[in-house]
Amino acid sequence: MKICLMGVGNVLMGDDALGPFLLKSLEAAWELPSNVTVFDAGTPGLDLTLFLDGFDVLIAVDALQARGAPGEVRCYRRAELLAPALPVVISPHEPTLRAALLRLDVFGRCPTQVLLVGAIPASVATGIGLSDAVRRAIPAIEAQVLRELERLGAPAKPRAVPQPADLWWEAPLARSLR
Amino acid sequence: MTRITIDPITRIEGHLRIDVEVQNGKVTDAWSSGQMWRGIELILKSRDAREAWFFTQRICGVCTTVHAIASVRAVENALQLPVPLNAQYIRNLIITAHALHDHVVHFYHLSALDWVDVTSALKADPAKASALGESLSAWPGNSRREMEAVKKKLAGFVSTGQLGIFTNGYWGHPAMKLPPEVNLLAVAHYLQALDYQRKANQVVAILGGKTPHIQNLAVGGVANAINLDNAAALNMQKLAMVKELLTEVQTFVEQVYLPDVCAIAGMYPEWLGYGAGVRNYLSVPDLPLDTKGETFEIPGGTIFGGDVKGVKPITSFNDAYFRDHVAESVAHAWYVGDAELHPFEGETIPKYTDFNPTAKYSWSKAPRFQGKPMQVGPTAVVLAAFAQGHEPTRRWASRVLETAGSIAKVQLTPAVLESTLGRHAARAIRCAVLAETALKQWKLLVENIGKGDVAIFNEPTFPKGEIRGVGFHEAPRGTLSHWVVIEDGKIKNYQAVVPSTWNAGPRDARGQLGPYEASLVGNPVADTQRPLEALRTIHSFDPCLACAVHLVDVEGRELSRVKVLG
Repeated sequence: MKICLMGVGNVLMGDDALGPFLLKSLEAAWELPSNVTVFDAGTPGLDLTLFLDGFDVLIAVDALQARGAPGEVRCYRRAELLAPALPVVISPHEPTLRAALLRLDVFGRCPTQVLLVGAIPASVATGIGLSDAVRRAIPAIEAQVLRELERLGAPAKPRAVPQPADLWWEAPLARSLR
Repeated sequence: MTRITIDPITRIEGHLRIDVEVQNGKVTDAWSSGQMWRGIELILKSRDAREAWFFTQRICGVCTTVHAIASVRAVENALQLPVPLNAQYIRNLIITAHALHDHVVHFYHLSALDWVDVTSALKADPAKASALGESLSAWPGNSRREMEAVKKKLAGFVSTGQLGIFTNGYWGHPAMKLPPEVNLLAVAHYLQALDYQRKANQVVAILGGKTPHIQNLAVGGVANAINLDNAAALNMQKLAMVKELLTEVQTFVEQVYLPDVCAIAGMYPEWLGYGAGVRNYLSVPDLPLDTKGETFEIPGGTIFGGDVKGVKPITSFNDAYFRDHVAESVAHAWYVGDAELHPFEGETIPKYTDFNPTAKYSWSKAPRFQGKPMQVGPTAVVLAAFAQGHEPTRRWASRVLETAGSIAKVQLTPAVLESTLGRHAARAIRCAVLAETALKQWKLLVENIGKGDVAIFNEPTFPKGEIRGVGFHEAPRGTLSHWVVIEDGKIKNYQAVVPSTWNAGPRDARGQLGPYEASLVGNPVADTQRPLEALRTIHSFDPCLACAVHLVDVEGRELSRVKVLG
């Protein structure tokens, strides 16, 4: 069973960094089984279809546009994601996770199990760093992801020596330069 | 008069919104209001200039690679730092593979369904569809068995009562004119396209380390150690795989994408007459063949008022003709003032006021070249290359014009590239040229390594004091330029002038319309409730907006709307 653990979002846009942030902090503390692919998707638009092709299971972490207070954690399953109507697409950026899954459905290659977990953002304006509200939601989202991996029979193991999370976009010097 | 607003996502600030006024079935005026990614200079200020590219490739999730390339070129330009030949070739391979991927995605997954009626394909005779496909090319995926399988798959899908991804199509719209067999052929290719996108993407992943965010760039070169016998390095096995993938993609482009565009252009010939818009064109030369960026595989230049013969070439990374003549107007954009500033002096001080078509109405600035709006993208590239006698462009342009012309039963000239479907044709021509060029770059790289040259990187050294540089790149959607001011090795100012601001930008202080706006004027709109024709013209530019954030709207609110005012 091929599992994709995907973080979606823009690390330069405040709480939109939630997905990538969660992947980095999870990887720092946990070892994942070999059938789990950790994928920092950025904001891939139409290309999301391609990137999700070939996976049996998708666990997606993203900022969620929903009614509620910033930092509230929500979970959604495949059927809920595929149900609502689709918008007219004008640019290749707009297609959502839902559109990517629906397109894969046409190809007969949509992941059979999907979990979307995320939090409502406080701000997605240009700037680096999560809001306090979303930062506080991270442990709950992480727990949700770990529970899902366990349910799928692909449990993560705590690292003997946790590593620092590679949050390069928050660091003063992003890369080790030659 | 009817006014239509096509507003894909109204809540998230700044996504592309198109307003058109329609009178007697024709567009009489248009406004394009878009998002420009704002504030990269705030993110980059005081950062080390060597890592700017790592951040700029996050500006846009679809155009990651192109912002990385333009950024390293800008810093190298400021330093006047040459780049080893191997690094140029490796970058060229990444650039072309990315563009091949992007053009195929754009055509099949964003635009084709503006022309192809999926539901009509259910009425097709698979044998006839197959015969038609086989008359256009030798593609094995046009077999009768394949057409039967696709029709069956589609029928099964429709019979569930869920059209899924096809729900929102303008099925049965009076402007849909293809016969069922052509629709079936196109749906089959829509499905097949995904596998060839994957192959092009694999090339970027092999050379760039990862996709969608490549890891192998550096100011001064690339980080791909070359050692033909080392498993960890760029070795013969990886190079062989790159060649094989590129060859397969080339076959798809030549035997599927190109004939499909010709068929659609030949069957909707009236759309070779609509949508020209701004007839000033800007493209930059790309795929450098030397260490300094003075000779290029594909030429670029400016054309004014459709005067193709009067093309003025842009000849090097240092060409002052490009560097000195770009400015951005904020007269109709939500920023302080109404100045037209050169990017080195560029400011981004937002000041949002309501959508007001006679005042400010867009987040996008309006880039201008010598004060003129310019159309960028494949039509600009193909016209400039054609005018400068670029042999592959001339050959592929002739092929496309002849094939589309024979289907339409008219003689087509390069002038038809200045239109809605002409932009698709130009993109297909460019794609065929790039597919061929990619293999040439591969050969150049392998031959250069064969000579014993394994250099990939020149160490940058930053002087005390201020330096400035511009890096340009002919990206899939058109001319991209990054402008950097560096002080003591740290970034002082940074501006990105992106293709979609050239094309989707608003009016300027002189009231000159931007390319999207101008291209819509004169377009037919048969049904104001379903303005398919306006979408056709906008999609033909391959809009790349609204790239900043990715939120999942989990409550399924209506995310897009077409609003008609009486």
